[in-house]
Amino acid sequence: MRYLPHTDSDRQAMLESMGHSHIMELFADIPSEFHTKLGSLNLPDALSEAGIVKKFTKAAEKNRHAGNTRCFLGGGTYHHFVPAVVDYVISRGEFLTAYTPYQPEIAQGTLQALFEYQTMIARLTGMDVSNASMYEAATATAEAALMARRVTRKTRTVIAGSVNPRYRRVTENYLSRLEGDYVEVGMGKFGTDLSKVIAEIDEKTACVIVQYPDFYGSVYDLAPLREACDANKCLMVVAFSDVSAFGLIESPGAYGADIVVGSGQALGIPMAFGGPHLGVFACKQKYLRQMPGRVCGLTTDADGKRGFVLTLSTREQHIRREKATSNICTNQGLMCTAAATYMTLMGDAGLATVANHSAAALDLLVSKLPSSVSAADGAHYNETVLSFESKEKRDAFIAEARKQDIFAGIPLETIEKDSDGKHLLVATTEMIEGADINDYISAMEVAS
Amino acid sequence: MSDNMHKYSATSGIQQEEPLLFEHAHEAPESISLPGVQGNAPSSLDAFKRKKAANIPGLSEPETVRHFVRLSQWNHGIETGFYPLGSCTMKYNPRVNEQIARLPGLAHVHPDQPEDSVQGILGLLHELQGWLAEISGFTDVTLQPAAGAHGELVGLMMIRKCLDARGEQKRKKVLVPDSAHGTNPASAALCGMYTVEIKSGADGRIDLDELKKHLDDDVAALMMTNPNTAGTFESDIKEICQLVHDAGGLVYGDGANLNALVGVARPGDMGLDCLHINVHKTFSTPHGGGGPGAGPVAVNDTLKPFLPVPRIEKHGDVYTVLTEDEQSIGTVLSTLGQSGVYMRANAYISAFGHNHIHKIAQDAVLNANYVLSRLKDVYHVPFEGLCKHECLLTDEWQNKHGVKTLDIAKRLIDLGFHPMTVYFPLIVHGAMLIEPTETESKETLDSFCDAMLEIAAQCEAGDTQALHDAPMRPIRRRLDETQAARKPVLVWQD
Repeated sequence: MRYLPHTDSDRQAMLESMGHSHIMELFADIPSEFHTKLGSLNLPDALSEAGIVKKFTKAAEKNRHAGNTRCFLGGGTYHHFVPAVVDYVISRGEFLTAYTPYQPEIAQGTLQALFEYQTMIARLTGMDVSNASMYEAATATAEAALMARRVTRKTRTVIAGSVNPRYRRVTENYLSRLEGDYVEVGMGKFGTDLSKVIAEIDEKTACVIVQYPDFYGSVYDLAPLREACDANKCLMVVAFSDVSAFGLIESPGAYGADIVVGSGQALGIPMAFGGPHLGVFACKQKYLRQMPGRVCGLTTDADGKRGFVLTLSTREQHIRREKATSNICTNQGLMCTAAATYMTLMGDAGLATVANHSAAALDLLVSKLPSSVSAADGAHYNETVLSFESKEKRDAFIAEARKQDIFAGIPLETIEKDSDGKHLLVATTEMIEGADINDYISAMEVAS
Repeated sequence: MSDNMHKYSATSGIQQEEPLLFEHAHEAPESISLPGVQGNAPSSLDAFKRKKAANIPGLSEPETVRHFVRLSQWNHGIETGFYPLGSCTMKYNPRVNEQIARLPGLAHVHPDQPEDSVQGILGLLHELQGWLAEISGFTDVTLQPAAGAHGELVGLMMIRKCLDARGEQKRKKVLVPDSAHGTNPASAALCGMYTVEIKSGADGRIDLDELKKHLDDDVAALMMTNPNTAGTFESDIKEICQLVHDAGGLVYGDGANLNALVGVARPGDMGLDCLHINVHKTFSTPHGGGGPGAGPVAVNDTLKPFLPVPRIEKHGDVYTVLTEDEQSIGTVLSTLGQSGVYMRANAYISAFGHNHIHKIAQDAVLNANYVLSRLKDVYHVPFEGLCKHECLLTDEWQNKHGVKTLDIAKRLIDLGFHPMTVYFPLIVHGAMLIEPTETESKETLDSFCDAMLEIAAQCEAGDTQALHDAPMRPIRRRLDETQAARKPVLVWQD
């Protein structure tokens, strides 16, 4: 077996050095009734390396993907450009195959990259501090709700109905075994009505969670929410799906958010059928010690040189056990390195270009819509809801677009269950060209 | 420093200093060129435009590459050398796994594509789901949990829901052995349950009498790791499961140590109700400096109705995604799971097949016992007998020379090895938990054992200064963790 270095004579020599003659003697502490007959598991025959490549290539070819289609799908995952350098950097074995940096002297590479990641995420979201990532956006949102309970010692959570339904479901699930109220605020049509959210806040409220841009891509003024949160001493939590927005629009931090959570997948991470992605978590300095997850901090070594370590571990599960800030004991370290590399390549100017192209593409698409199809009102970043005259008309368009290798959007009811079948959630990134939009609109005309 | 440094694999070659990227002293070059609609954002967004740039530097491509390549050279990874971290299972990560995970048809697939356009990847995930059930001895598996600790939470959510369905809302006590991972109590707390610690017996195993004392009408579950974190197999496993079941509770298995059993024995056969599997440990997906991993959970028939959604089903030749299920605990992640990680796990199992998979556990256990047998006369072994895939030593005999586990660990760095896991499990003082895994050669193990023996000999000779000063050779020496925690600096201020 090619991954195992021992020869049979190595094995025999090692066993004999320990006074054993057969390898299964090392398993004598497992009661014999539980010994599986070797070779009896219902698995296929071993494959050669060539066989593995063939198997996966064959399976991959059965899938359509963003490389051989035009992808207008969003809803939390976006097809942004990934520069070659990003994958090169994270493919380097020293990043790829390292463990959690518990021995900082020989993990300064990972640690400095984490520190740079934290700094850039804080700057992009407009917050004081960032952690070294969460699994993904939905669990990050749930963790923000839990953190707000710790900070405020209150137990009521108010969440806008325009937050990604998947983030809402996970948050509701996390909170359901703990005491306290969970309140979802219905939103009406494809946008965020802050006055409805504000009306739900009371003195028992630990936090209000909104999404910006919201699940429908709608952008709105968060300022009134800050005032309402101050009046009720509750935390303002802002979630987002596509972090590329903050290359263009005002950051949640600038509106005074206390905690910001969302997906960093746009920062050089492929869609990969849903993961691994990157959960972003940032907050104000004063809440630092209640922040979940790992953080990297600056310090000095025995010679007085600057260096980095994982820090504030007294909040964590291996010290605080059941009183820990969360049960999380990992992060998405490699994805942080990818995001740091991506942001370094892009800089402010590149991030602004990504955001401008993404938003301009949606604007162009909406401007060309036939009169039978309407887009949601108001300012939108790179995502919106298209409404058709009927489910049949929408589905006919989806099918026609598909013939031309266009994934036209996500039928809204597949994510938002109670939505009627006329709507399509459509997203654009800098990967969508003018010609793709022309084809999209043509398919719409053919289908109608 | 030792005269015979050449014996070991450390290098002290070129070491470059590299500033933070924020310290590169020039303005950002012309921005990267990007495709897309070359226009400006709609005027409706004007009112929301960012007033101040984020101040993200923007380096040229060659500078970016050099910056991160230099950083990478400060890291120890499994591709750089031996990584005997107990309880973490750092094994070789096959390169073909990286190649296949990057195939465009797997890497650039959107999770909301129509099902008929993703049959290939659904098939691979479904196949892995079945294999994990088969290997662990359970009925079904969810791929949704994003990490081992997330799997724990999901497992406990299912146990909670199962107990609630039985009308036993009252049961809130989770028994956790004192050798357990710290995530276990934290996960229980998140499920609205509380934990009671069970003291290990003198042999480092669960003491049946101690267990019985805590089994009453409040017990929801026992969370156990088997082999446990002391590296020993809980031979009373059948009786333990029986006792907990008789008391009306369920048994949760922390699958962090499945590497000791894969292909040889199955936790599901032993009476456990569920088990999370750290695929990055047993099935070789790279750890990436802290993640991503994945924590699928295997369940028996008792817990199957409560599996989270979405999950993948096969009907005839067609794969579908089930999004609702009456008794399900609901959803715990935005998507189906960390598919990219699962591609690698599938590839690893494919490389072994039914005919070789048991060799993983056999060689892992052989290597751990070999290291133990070479070191047991010079390092204190707290629990006698066979070990499984990791062996536990302590610094007790080195203490009398003023040398602690941390000194030994840091000295290993100078000798070219990543240290073992230190100060865990907490049940022994000055713990050193060593896990060689199946992908290390006898030559590497001998070299590591020689280094450990040399360190012990230095202690005996009273020649301990090099140990206290270690490490001398990496780019940074011992780092001040107290300072970092006392005055936390998590972001760079220009």
